[in-house]
Amino acid sequence: MSSSPLRLLLDFDAQYRRDRDQTPAFLHRRDRRLALVREQAGATPPSLAEWLHAVGNGRHDTTSLRRWRRLNGGLLLAGGVLGVLTMLGLLYVTGPARINVTLFLALVLMQLLLALATTGQALVGWRPWGGLLGRGGPEQGAPALRQLQPQLAARAAQTGGLAFAVTALLTLLAQILVRDLAFGWSTTLQTSAPAYHRLVETLAWPWRGWLPGAVPGLELVAQSRYFRLESGAPADPALLGGWWPFLVMTWLTYVVMPRLALLLLAQAHLRRRARRLLRDHPGVAALRERFATPWVDSGDEAPAATPLTTPAAAPAPPPPADTGTLIRWAGAGDGDLVRHLVGEVPILDAGGAATLEQDRDTLNRADGGRPVVILVRAWEPPTGDLADFLDDARAHWGPATPILLQPLATDDQALAPWQRFLARRQDPALQLCPPLAPDREAATP
Amino acid sequence: MTAPPRFAVVGHPNKGKSSIVATLAQNDGIAIALEPGTTRDSHRYPLSVDGHVLYELIDTPGFQRPRRVLAWLQAHSASASDRPETVRAFVTQHRDDPRFHDECELLTPILEGAGILYVVDGAVPYSPEQEAEMEILRWTGRPSLALINRIGDGDHLADWRAALGQYFQIVRDFDAVNAPFDTHLSLLRGFGQLAPDWEGPLEEAANHLRDQRHHRQHRALALIAEALADMLTHAESARFGEHDNRDALEHDLARRWRDRQRQREQSLRRDVEALYRHRHLHRREQALDWEPGQDLFSDQARRAWGVSRTYLATAGFGAGALGGAGIDALAAGHSLGTGALIGGVLGAAGSLYYGGKYADKLGALKLLAPLAGGGRRAEFGPVRDPQFGYVVLGRALEHWFQVSHRNHAGRAPLTLDHGDRHWLEQLPRADRQRLQKALQNPPRHPSDGKRRQALEQAVENAGGAFLQWRSGNEDSE
Repeated sequence: MSSSPLRLLLDFDAQYRRDRDQTPAFLHRRDRRLALVREQAGATPPSLAEWLHAVGNGRHDTTSLRRWRRLNGGLLLAGGVLGVLTMLGLLYVTGPARINVTLFLALVLMQLLLALATTGQALVGWRPWGGLLGRGGPEQGAPALRQLQPQLAARAAQTGGLAFAVTALLTLLAQILVRDLAFGWSTTLQTSAPAYHRLVETLAWPWRGWLPGAVPGLELVAQSRYFRLESGAPADPALLGGWWPFLVMTWLTYVVMPRLALLLLAQAHLRRRARRLLRDHPGVAALRERFATPWVDSGDEAPAATPLTTPAAAPAPPPPADTGTLIRWAGAGDGDLVRHLVGEVPILDAGGAATLEQDRDTLNRADGGRPVVILVRAWEPPTGDLADFLDDARAHWGPATPILLQPLATDDQALAPWQRFLARRQDPALQLCPPLAPDREAATP
Repeated sequence: MTAPPRFAVVGHPNKGKSSIVATLAQNDGIAIALEPGTTRDSHRYPLSVDGHVLYELIDTPGFQRPRRVLAWLQAHSASASDRPETVRAFVTQHRDDPRFHDECELLTPILEGAGILYVVDGAVPYSPEQEAEMEILRWTGRPSLALINRIGDGDHLADWRAALGQYFQIVRDFDAVNAPFDTHLSLLRGFGQLAPDWEGPLEEAANHLRDQRHHRQHRALALIAEALADMLTHAESARFGEHDNRDALEHDLARRWRDRQRQREQSLRRDVEALYRHRHLHRREQALDWEPGQDLFSDQARRAWGVSRTYLATAGFGAGALGGAGIDALAAGHSLGTGALIGGVLGAAGSLYYGGKYADKLGALKLLAPLAGGGRRAEFGPVRDPQFGYVVLGRALEHWFQVSHRNHAGRAPLTLDHGDRHWLEQLPRADRQRLQKALQNPPRHPSDGKRRQALEQAVENAGGAFLQWRSGNEDSE
């Protein structure tokens, strides 16, 4: 389980982006269940790390961070190599005889300013080098890392800087050990030895109380001043080597220690920023809401019914002129409408409020030798009752008697169930007439 | 532990049983007009809270042969006391008979203890032909409630009420397609009145559904705020080479930018519909046509959902003043409100400048830093016109309102027309200024917590105002 805020942020963000493809219902159910399991065990809802472990099976997206690690490693190596080269350069290039302490102090000052500038840049979130890390940068694929670029870059830079400082210090110590280094100080400025001594003493303030041997005395300062055009050997070559404890302590105090402190600060800043980004992450509030909100399932995930296919409509003949009987099914149509339809023929009733006895009586009274028209309300779909009546009619009148279903309908849409009903019955003598507007029918939907 | 209450929704074919189940179970996949006569099985729709079932609705096939069933029952019953037993015997006898499959399916849950919800269509006149069905249900002896659904325009409620009152304990009207959400809850509480043990679970269920609705509203508005932030900050970029045609590149990037905005708007639509469980919704939206004058970027959309220059100037002044007031606060009041005044004037000027022509001010090509390997980075967007935010927000709120107020029994396509833009009048002045400020300063990335919260809050307030405005419109219609 990850405890690093950065790791947590990256894992959470990756899971958040994966979850965007899931349905809200699934996410709510999954997370609420996790919270309930904890609740039943008497615990609070899971922490983000526990939640990530539960839903992601401990999966970490390390690709994006690996690139930053690589950058860190590169800067560490580069810093280390540069530290050695710079110190060697300083010790060899500044002069064969005396190494200028002023130049050394300038390098210290520059290192300190660079370290502080790096930190300041990270604190205000300025990214002057952003273009280098823009598209295709190390955080590609992990948008959350983009917000941490200043802090990540500061950490990498401070790491490189620390490597530089440490290897430079080691180089200095090694050179002190294997060579007899002579230090002196020189400057174009009109500075007296006492003034330079005061500067040196001020710089040595952190250690002068407990390491007086690393604070050059006025005599050493006065004697080690040299001028470039001055010829001749110094007063006491052995004395000039006495600068080294001061230089080592200066480097340690003003380069190594600040770099280390600022690296720790960069690390802490990175963690704090990652924690803050995680706190403000849009997914966190939504997740907490899912933990706390009961999962209400109203059966809405049942599969949808498959729509039925309607067979192609068969040719629809009008009621024939030689209709023998008209039967009103379940009270469909009134007398005038029916007479207008088929003329003066016997009108009988069946279905609906009629009893089964009355249905049988209707079958007996109908003229089975001529076409029979059955008037139906199209918006009342065909039921088993009608199917039974048609079965009985066919048995009673024989298979050849034309039976025509005359639907009352205001539009063709209501006819689809009737067309399917006819298709299922497979009775060639049973046909559906074109719909008739139910002018006087009050009950039209 | 007692079994949760169950309710069998029964009735004559095609009277809206499934539409009632679809609305109460919030499932738009349930067929509303399945063809009667085809073999159908019962479907159960439990309502559970954290896995605990509070009640169950059972959608059943309609009666196919009620007269035959009643005749059988009457022939096999000796007295009123054996009626439930006779109904059970009928089901036992005919379980394998295909002719009575539907009757067995619908009677079985009732015999197992379910309450009866008998559905009729109040748009057609009362007809005694359904009395056989009601009589069979009365024979079961189970608690029952009649629901008068209205499928068409006719109104025969009074006749139905009088007739149903003779057979059922409670008679309620319920328009499955148009009934507002509060009526759903009231109906559920009505189910609880059928038996003393059922009142508690049904009340609990109604409370949970109400909370779920609040939760969904909050989530939907958060989704809208997220989409707004995406759309307001989106930019398209490309490499601009030395020999490239600037106009062609701008045209291409503008087209990509607009397509991307349309797609984002559509994905918001889908997210909101999924949140409200509308998975089979057919949407008729003008932006879908993407024709000149019809879509998100048309002047018609701007006229419908945008705001006037005066509004922009006043809200811009307020938003600027909000920022300026921050300067005053930092100066501990020593600036005597100068910060607010300057901020206000700048805000108003900016809003007026960008509030002119809609389509022309949406964005322009910008040439940015040189790229490694030659050329420069060209960018189109983010949007500069403050109207755009209002247009997207207005359209999104209208869609959300319609989806959230649409019952799952609805089958008509959702039509999103341009509406009246005066919804902003419902928003208090201070909220308008916050909205303007949030639209001018959208979060640039998801972790920009402060701006994101400001935008979410502004959209939440806007949602409340929109709801009030639409409810007022509906009341006055």
